[in-house]
Amino acid sequence: MVSALYGLIFLNLLRTLRDGESAYTSFVDTMRTPPILYVNLVLFALLVWHAVSWFMLIGKAQPIQFTDRPLPWKSVFGVNVLLWIGVSAAAVYLIFGGI
Amino acid sequence: MAEEVGSTRESLAWNPGRETVHADEKTGEPEVFLEPLLWGLFSLGGFITAFLFPITVFLLFVAPVFGLWPTDPAAYATFAAHWQEPLVRLFFFALIGGSLFHGTHRLKFMLVDAGLRGPGIEAALDIILNAIAIVGTLGALYYAVRGWLFV
Repeated sequence: MVSALYGLIFLNLLRTLRDGESAYTSFVDTMRTPPILYVNLVLFALLVWHAVSWFMLIGKAQPIQFTDRPLPWKSVFGVNVLLWIGVSAAAVYLIFGGI
Repeated sequence: MAEEVGSTRESLAWNPGRETVHADEKTGEPEVFLEPLLWGLFSLGGFITAFLFPITVFLLFVAPVFGLWPTDPAAYATFAAHWQEPLVRLFFFALIGGSLFHGTHRLKFMLVDAGLRGPGIEAALDIILNAIAIVGTLGALYYAVRGWLFV
């Protein structure tokens, strides 16, 4: 549900980008100003928890079947966390222009 | 004939994925098409949300405020320059579409669990929430191709 909310927020971000610098900057500033900032922090924490719980769920809801026996969910979780770090680093460089 | 299943609907035998297990064929029932499609979009959106959302929200709305990042990726000049790249447009299209299908599908079952049950109510929830996801995704597609395929 939080993800859908952020989906709408990003949709509005693109709308303001189309409308020009003034509208865009105003929206970004609003997202970074209390009390919206505090709401943002809570939602961000929920997003991180969603990611962690999703990775914990993968090995349980859909056992990975590379071998005769399913891989332990903790192994699947570990691999996914490593992938998560790699994908995030790739996003930093490919989407947001690096550090 | 279907494989033997227990009362919890779990397979009693380990199926390593090399043999297809089919349920007993039922006759006279319409083929289910939309339900697996929506669950598939929910799952795809879950992966997109889990992998890509935390870093995106962190960089755009959290890190620059607290000085945790040397640059401001959400600054207009920076973001507008990156927005010219097709990969960035594809990224935000996938992010928005995936998150909307994931979140609205989850919200539907939260509302059903909260007591909004019944064929009519659930059909209405399906229509409203999927409409939000579809319209939002089309909106993201519009912004993604605008200025690229048309002005």
